Amino acid sequence: MSTVDNPLQRLELLQGTLEVLILRSLQATPNHAYGISQFLERQSEFEFLVDNGSLYPALQRLLQRRWISSQWKKSPNGRRAKYYRLTPLGRTQLVAAKSKWMRFVEAMARVLAPQR
Amino acid sequence: MREWWSKICRALHFRSGLDRDLSDEMQAHLDLMTAENIERGMPPTEARAAARRAFGNVTSTQEKARESWQFPRLETILQDIRYGLRGIRKSPSFSLVVILTLALGIGANTAIFSVVYSVLLRPLPYPHGERLVWLGESTAKASGISITWINFEHWRHDNDSFENMAAFAGEDLTLTGRGDAVLTHEWLVTSGFFQLIGARPALGRLFTDRDDTPGAAPTVVATADCWQRKLGGDSNVVGESVVLDGTSYQIIGVLNPGFQFQMRPVDFYLPIGRNANAHHKRSDHGNMRAVGLLKPGATLTQARTNLDAIMQRLALSDPGPEDDHRAYAAYFTEVMAGDVRTTLLVLMSAVGLVLIIACANVASLLLVRSTARAREIAIRVAIGAGRARLARQLLTENIVIAVIGGALGLFLAGWSLRMLILIGPRDIPRLTEATLDLPVLLFAAVISVAVGLLAGLAPVWNAGKVDLTTALKEGSPTASAGKRGEAFRSTLVIAEIAITLMLSFVSGLLVRSLIAAQHADPGFDPQNLLAIELQLPESRYGSADSVREYYGQLSQNLRAEPGVDDVGLVMCPPGAGDCGDYWYSILEKPTPTRDDVPLSLFNIADASYFRAARMRLLAGRNFNESDRAGGLRVTMINERLARQEWPDPRLALGQHLKVGGPYMEGPTLEIIGVLANVSQEGLDGERSPTFYYAFSQKPDSAMVVTLRTNGDPAQCMNAARRQVSALDRNVPIQSLRTAEDWLGATLQRRRFATLLLGLFGGLAMLLAAVGIYGVLNYWVSARQREIAIRLAVGAQRSTIMRWAGLHATRLAVIGIVLGTLGAWSAARWLESLVFGVKAHNPLMMFLAGGAVMAIAALAASIPLWRATHTDAVRNLREA
Repeated sequence: MSTVDNPLQRLELLQGTLEVLILRSLQATPNHAYGISQFLERQSEFEFLVDNGSLYPALQRLLQRRWISSQWKKSPNGRRAKYYRLTPLGRTQLVAAKSKWMRFVEAMARVLAPQR
Repeated sequence: MREWWSKICRALHFRSGLDRDLSDEMQAHLDLMTAENIERGMPPTEARAAARRAFGNVTSTQEKARESWQFPRLETILQDIRYGLRGIRKSPSFSLVVILTLALGIGANTAIFSVVYSVLLRPLPYPHGERLVWLGESTAKASGISITWINFEHWRHDNDSFENMAAFAGEDLTLTGRGDAVLTHEWLVTSGFFQLIGARPALGRLFTDRDDTPGAAPTVVATADCWQRKLGGDSNVVGESVVLDGTSYQIIGVLNPGFQFQMRPVDFYLPIGRNANAHHKRSDHGNMRAVGLLKPGATLTQARTNLDAIMQRLALSDPGPEDDHRAYAAYFTEVMAGDVRTTLLVLMSAVGLVLIIACANVASLLLVRSTARAREIAIRVAIGAGRARLARQLLTENIVIAVIGGALGLFLAGWSLRMLILIGPRDIPRLTEATLDLPVLLFAAVISVAVGLLAGLAPVWNAGKVDLTTALKEGSPTASAGKRGEAFRSTLVIAEIAITLMLSFVSGLLVRSLIAAQHADPGFDPQNLLAIELQLPESRYGSADSVREYYGQLSQNLRAEPGVDDVGLVMCPPGAGDCGDYWYSILEKPTPTRDDVPLSLFNIADASYFRAARMRLLAGRNFNESDRAGGLRVTMINERLARQEWPDPRLALGQHLKVGGPYMEGPTLEIIGVLANVSQEGLDGERSPTFYYAFSQKPDSAMVVTLRTNGDPAQCMNAARRQVSALDRNVPIQSLRTAEDWLGATLQRRRFATLLLGLFGGLAMLLAAVGIYGVLNYWVSARQREIAIRLAVGAQRSTIMRWAGLHATRLAVIGIVLGTLGAWSAARWLESLVFGVKAHNPLMMFLAGGAVMAIAALAASIPLWRATHTDAVRNLREA
């Protein structure tokens, strides 16, 4: 097994990260499931592969926690789609999760690539 | 929380809506992707296919999304329950046996537990009933004797472990001035009593400290019952007065209905402190006890230490003859239950053993079934069921059966509880309050599930070890179905036999005791004996002479009645309980030390009583006319007391009994006669040492007039009533009964316990028989082929018989040995329940062993017959 990551193979999402990413993707504007996955792939410069088998359950969990809400709407090109939007509760959750993840990332970086 | 709530809402209402919404959403998702592909220039069909590829598995995504709304655990459990119910329907006879067995075991346990709960465990119906403590004094010899007023006052003021303390004493007073005189019952209480016990007035007010001080105006509080029945139920009764024993009391209030303190029905409450002046000394005992409410967090031991310290301090500051007295404190619930406790605990253990047998039967039945299901289980394992999943399924199935059995058992319990209350003795406190209430239902639920788990463990354990290849290939129970299962089943049979033996031993002992008690020599002749219990109102019969005169006249009048042979007077007739006990000493013997002064019951009787009751005189003479007041004071003692002091009863004659012993005041009496023992406490009671005062020398206003009749004593009842009323209509008859009724009632509790234990013993035998039959039958079935081969190669039927019989006998013998050991060591718990025989009774042990052996033989005979009548040819051909 090679010890170096194959740059062509995209990253799998870590446990628990997808939900934060979904919240982040809905921060600016409501979006539908397909839009969310496209947003995440584009923003991560195609490092993340968003699997629908994970995305849909994650959306359902967020709905159950009332962090997001959903509504059927017409998309700009005239198609009906289910749009998700952040609730106020979701917004506070996002702030909290964001700072937690930033700290986590920095800590990981400090450990893995210490600056001498 | 929130997640759960939305899950529940979804599960209830939106399940189908959610599914539709999800598939719509995914369809829209695909449409968007398709549209994008078309925009990029793909042909429509290819665009759609590419979108599908990119999306992935739609159904699986949908399922995963849906799962986030479910309770996956719950749904598999529901599935297992459905499967279990299907299993029950598929093998109805098997299920019926299991469910009925469980219902019997659980039902009996629930019924007895509800009695135990109601009588022993349920908090008292008073506020903070669990913190209420019964208080009395203790000596080296006796605990829980009465408290003196002065000691109580010190306890009440100086203690720091009680929130509150109140004293009470029982008394009987005669109510006059409202029609015929009636004897009424009173509690004399301190003013804080009602608050402590949580009683409220329905009319007027309750006592205050002003009513409870020496010299206060006489006041009473009536109970609701008395108000209805004796005071006419008039709501203007407050302010009126009643005459009790000649003193006029003002009624200040009526209590709420339904309030009762202890088992004693009472008419009036009087303040006790009004007469406190009469008690000058710290050793002036009456019959006062106290009740205290422990401070929250204070323990009984702390309270005892606290009160003992006060007693020690008092012994220094106010020395007297009772400086060694200490405080007695016990929880009210325990005091109330009293000696019923042992009976109920024995019953509870017995019925628990019955449950164990039921459980063992069910376990062996389930084990048999699971062996038969080995192939099904093997298939499940083969297609990927994990050990844990399999165990959960089997356990759920068993619990389903157990819960159905438990529900049925609850019905059984409800029904038998009604029977229990109906046949139960009246003197068991709070028995009638027993119902299937929440704690009892909880108990039933817990034992049902526990039985389900326990009985189900063996098959589950076995299933985990299924050998796939053998199970799938063979698929039918054979001898190879598991040595382990075999050993387990044998253990169950042994346990069942052992327990059944213990139960039959105990119930045998109790039946034997009941017979012994019924045939016990009461020491007198209860046939054709009528007892009239009287209480002369002290206002009219204050002097000893007037009491003597009244009873003398009544005896004379009754003697003149046709059908009456003889008339005697006694204070406490046999079987009615005792009049009390007191210290005594024999003057002619060495003076005992303070701690060794013996106790004896005392009683009062007139010259003709022993003749009328036909009590045997063992030595000396009876009381007679020469034993007058002011003459030489004499006593008659019973054989028990005589033997306690002298080797031969005749040696007692002429010796002198000092009442109160060397350290207490009391008269000196010359012993003139020794009588046979009578059972003062009831037929199955102890024969305690007793001495009798002569009525002529110590008349008492409360006496029982006994009539020896020459026919049915019930026919003299009217004459007795007429004569009492004719002599003085202000004298109430407290009770009028035949001595046989009186004595018979004393065995009520023993009959109750014996009946129940007999029932449990029978139930155990029945269940054990079924269990032994089942296991041996299976043993034979599993060896059908082996037996056929043996027969085919020339074995005699007798050989088969010996082989199978040996197996059965070995199990029975081990069971009986273990059961004997168990019963023998349990016997000492029964000492207090057994009468007339010893608890360690080899004969009873032998009989019980024989009975269990016979039952086992009976249960084994059918499988053994099957074993020896195996049709070898047919069996081998089928195989």
